[in-house]
Amino acid sequence: MNNKKRDRLEVIFDIFKIIRDHHNSIKPTPLLRYSNLSSSSFSDYCAELRAKGFIKDIADDKGRKYITLTDKGFKYLEKYKLILGLIDEFEL
Amino acid sequence: MAFGHFGNPLGHFFDPVLFTAELLFTVAAVIFCFAIYYKTRESYELTKYEGIKYFRDAFLFFGLSYVTRFLFSLLLLSRVAFDIILLQNIFVPLFILPLGYFSTIAISYLIFSLIWKRYKNKYLIVFGHGVAVLLPLVSFLTRSHAILLVLQSLLLVTAVILALLMHKEGKKVTQVRILYFLVLALWLINLWMIGPRRLFTVKISSQVISLIVFVTLYQKIAKWVK
Repeated sequence: MNNKKRDRLEVIFDIFKIIRDHHNSIKPTPLLRYSNLSSSSFSDYCAELRAKGFIKDIADDKGRKYITLTDKGFKYLEKYKLILGLIDEFEL
Repeated sequence: MAFGHFGNPLGHFFDPVLFTAELLFTVAAVIFCFAIYYKTRESYELTKYEGIKYFRDAFLFFGLSYVTRFLFSLLLLSRVAFDIILLQNIFVPLFILPLGYFSTIAISYLIFSLIWKRYKNKYLIVFGHGVAVLLPLVSFLTRSHAILLVLQSLLLVTAVILALLMHKEGKKVTQVRILYFLVLALWLINLWMIGPRRLFTVKISSQVISLIVFVTLYQKIAKWVK
């Protein structure tokens, strides 16, 4: 169970990292490919992260949709290692 | 008014050393408990991680428990000083309810923070609150905070058994688990020491050790939460 939950935090970290490494804007299809998730899992994660304000959708001049990190998303990336340290140290 | 065997008609209630020690201990303990809760807020807000939720809520409720314990101790001390039957029959039982609820839920949440991954169950919180209501209710009906102490001791024994089971499966007895054990055991000792006729040195020692444990936990958290 621990690994499953840890995986969840890791998956979110990976998604954010991919977005950040693509100059903070990436189309949904390559993001799905790089994140190594099933299409339904990816949709679930994106919906949740969007609802919680970690990511948001933007569109370019031609109306193409991109996913980008919000400040909260960047905060997660910044704090991720420390939070993992806290979870490990306190066996949470 | 009957002053019993206490030479001072004001009894222990106005014993300045005891009162100051109790007050300082409560203020320090509550500050550290709430600081732990506050420090872990961002980590929880970002991840909504269940283990962090149980952990921080445990310290929120420990803080509330220590506040209630302090008020309860004042009540007990005033009962000694003024020997008012009303206090024993009405106010003390009423105080047992919040004191028992806050402390039992704190103990439960601290245990849950360790075991929630293994016993993941949507009814875990319901179970915790159920126990937290039941224990003080039994104590309330029996008009005795000693009953609460006995029942909470059983919770501590359960926690130790669970820790031993985890130990058998190869998990080491870590420093953090010892600290958790001390937080729970010292709460019980401090609850026992709430009465006015306890040994002053034992009372002060348990309070000092409690503060050392809270400071150690806070320092460990501060390392990860910048």
